[in-house]
Amino acid sequence: MKKLKSYIKTFLLWELWQGLSITLRNFFRPTTTIQYPEEKTPQSSRFRGLHALRRYPNGEERCIACKLCEAVCPALAITIESDVSDDGTRRTTRYDIDLFKCIYCGFCEEACPVDAIVETRIHEYHMEAPGENIMTKDKLLAIGDKFDNLITKDKAADAKYR
Amino acid sequence: MSDDLIEIEVDGKSVQAKKGQMIIEATDTTSSYVPRFCYHSKLSIAANCRMCLVEVEKAPKPLPACATPVAAGMKIFTRSPYAIAAQKATMEFLLINHPLDCPICDQGGECELQDIAMGYGRGISRYNDNKRVVKDKNIGPLVSTDMTRCIHCTRCVRFGEEITGVQDLGTVMRGENMRIDTYVEKSIDHELSSNIIDLCPVGALNNKPYRYSARSWEMIQHETIAAHDCVGSNIYAHVLRGTVKRVVPRENEAINETWISDRDRFSYEGIYSDERLMSPMIKKDDQWQEISWKDALIEIVEKLKVVEKNSAAVLASPNSTLEEFYLLSRLSDELSISNIDHRLRMVDFTDQLNDPKIPLLGMNIAEIENCKQIVVVGSDIRKEAPIIGHRIRKAALSGAQIGIINENINEYFFDVAVYLSESIIGNLLGLLSALNGEPPEEMRDIFKQIKPTKEQQKLAAILNSKDKKHLILGHLAINHPYASVIRLLSAKIAELTGAVLGFITEGSNAAGGHLMGVLPHRGFAGSSQEIIGHSISEISENNLDLLLLFNAEPGKDIPSLSAEKLTDSLVIALTPYATENYKTTADIMLPIGTFAETSGTYINCEERWQSFSGIANPVGESRPGWKVLRAIGSLLGMSEFEFESSESVLDEISQRLKDTPMSNEINNFSLQNKIKEKDLLGTHLVHRVPMYEVDSVLRHSASLQLTPEASRSDST
Repeated sequence: MKKLKSYIKTFLLWELWQGLSITLRNFFRPTTTIQYPEEKTPQSSRFRGLHALRRYPNGEERCIACKLCEAVCPALAITIESDVSDDGTRRTTRYDIDLFKCIYCGFCEEACPVDAIVETRIHEYHMEAPGENIMTKDKLLAIGDKFDNLITKDKAADAKYR
Repeated sequence: MSDDLIEIEVDGKSVQAKKGQMIIEATDTTSSYVPRFCYHSKLSIAANCRMCLVEVEKAPKPLPACATPVAAGMKIFTRSPYAIAAQKATMEFLLINHPLDCPICDQGGECELQDIAMGYGRGISRYNDNKRVVKDKNIGPLVSTDMTRCIHCTRCVRFGEEITGVQDLGTVMRGENMRIDTYVEKSIDHELSSNIIDLCPVGALNNKPYRYSARSWEMIQHETIAAHDCVGSNIYAHVLRGTVKRVVPRENEAINETWISDRDRFSYEGIYSDERLMSPMIKKDDQWQEISWKDALIEIVEKLKVVEKNSAAVLASPNSTLEEFYLLSRLSDELSISNIDHRLRMVDFTDQLNDPKIPLLGMNIAEIENCKQIVVVGSDIRKEAPIIGHRIRKAALSGAQIGIINENINEYFFDVAVYLSESIIGNLLGLLSALNGEPPEEMRDIFKQIKPTKEQQKLAAILNSKDKKHLILGHLAINHPYASVIRLLSAKIAELTGAVLGFITEGSNAAGGHLMGVLPHRGFAGSSQEIIGHSISEISENNLDLLLLFNAEPGKDIPSLSAEKLTDSLVIALTPYATENYKTTADIMLPIGTFAETSGTYINCEERWQSFSGIANPVGESRPGWKVLRAIGSLLGMSEFEFESSESVLDEISQRLKDTPMSNEINNFSLQNKIKEKDLLGTHLVHRVPMYEVDSVLRHSASLQLTPEASRSDST
């Protein structure tokens, strides 16, 4: 009896139809994949991507070279040198983040008393030459300037939970 | 239990305390820590911060532990709810006006207020009114001020009153308006004054050259030895990524207590001077060219091989390490060069054969303060060895009578019993005559005419006692044109009065230079030499063919040797710096490390051997001095010269010293030069070096050169 059933199923391509039914079912199911890079998934405002250094609205650098981010960094990715600036304040003369070392944990952002170092939503970046993995102070400030609106908005959204 | 011990109880444990001791001193011997700001063991008690309030049984109120003497049977509670409440309330008051900008404060991470606020502070301030703001003061190039941070513990004020004797800082106004101030705008100039940086429990007074350049937690603390005077103060260097960022004192009660001089604290800036020599250089057709180490060493060895032995000299800085001195002495023995010296500023060498084997202080530095009479001859002791100056001041404060014999008048911040100015020799002769002493044979005629003045008689009367006393000869006496006369007369006076005769030598390791035989008339461990080499003055006068300078700058370290005198000589300079003087005189320059980049040993004026290791990365291509000398020796084909570390050099020195024991008695001094009366009793031009110019590192320390002391260039 069992043999007979199997014999008929073989003739009718039963297992093929069974498989194709899954295909058919999924054909009408709503899609979860997107067309990257044309389409993008929604991102959390807390996304931890590329770093940026922020400025105050009047253009003054926020970073005060307290070196708390350097101390808290578990991957030792941050290197800071500091000195007295022309106006007598404490400022960094060097602020390097090694992106190869960084594990994007966000501790630097947590440690910063003045919200200067932040991790932005940017995650689409690449390096072409050796040494480009070092984010210098200028590069970090440039990112901060470019995405200032976004960062400010994200910070404001997160403010009530802090 | 002896009479002066009593039993008290601290947090339920019974503790023995001395009578008259304060509670805080008793609790510090136990594990119970009482928080404090104004209390400091080296300063008087002020009891004005109120942080150390503790509960004492049967006392109606909490009592300040620093100002309450212990009593028998006292029951003290340092951590009872009552005591903690009092301490927390004090903390809240202190934090009312203290700014909360720890992230930008240099004290952050090593701040006593920050630490104690972790334990006793509230999480959130209840104070919503305006905070007090105090204008910062400019008190000189060494100490930065952020007076808003001040909590009025007055440690700095008490330091000025009690330790330096100069009341530069004081408190003005009261209550809310109280502030620490210099009153009139002025810099604080005492040679120990920068110790207020360490004393300040908050960030109000801080290190100006170090300002904002590093954080306390990221630096590595290395033990080392200060390299600018014969005291050998113990210091810590704080190093960040191979660069010395600052220097702080290392407590050693036998030498520097908890203090160091400004010179030792800020000299590290010289390591990173722009004038550092970065690579070996050779002069070709009057042009300086860079050259590789290998070529430079080969060039030097070829020159050394062919040089006429009598026409070569080796001059080393008295700041060289023991190992460097030893290698220099072995090198010159190998080349049979007898013109070798480290006493670069001396003039009178006539009695050098009777030199003590090692010129020492004669007693331990800590013993100075127990002396009842101290006579300082030819020394600006505060500038020459600030720590010894401080010990003498301590002796004076505890009742010692201090006599000073010097040609010029220096300021002392304690009572000087007798100050004999003008001719040192005249005064010494007068003193000898007042003591009814016998003059040396040759001076009998002069001595007959001497009549002791009232002041000289007063000093003689002071010295006529059986107490412990000390007679110190300083740099001006050692570098005097009649140094041998001064030494002989001082020795006679010391013998008559039973005083201990001591020397304050130049540099940090003159004792090592003597011991290793970097002298024209002595060999290793004080052995006598068959051929006595030229002295510095003879070297300067005769045009020698070859001169090897080891960190000794013509004109600066060697005043008698000017650039014009060296035009015909081949000068090989091993130097950390390429200054104008080197550039015009030298033919080959090799970069060697400063005290922070080399390892070695210093012997201080109480014959204490202190070894240290290299703590900073070498600047440019510079190498430790001993390594360069070793390389030269190996290229010369010297046997048993393959030292792998400075420790192996030290081992060989110790081994050789064990085999040749050395008597250390002070020899009989004599007079060997003709004495011209007119000259002898007058005042003399002694080459007097300003405090911040005694060695090459100090001359390149930017901040020290900005002080008023550096711009003072008076020679008498």
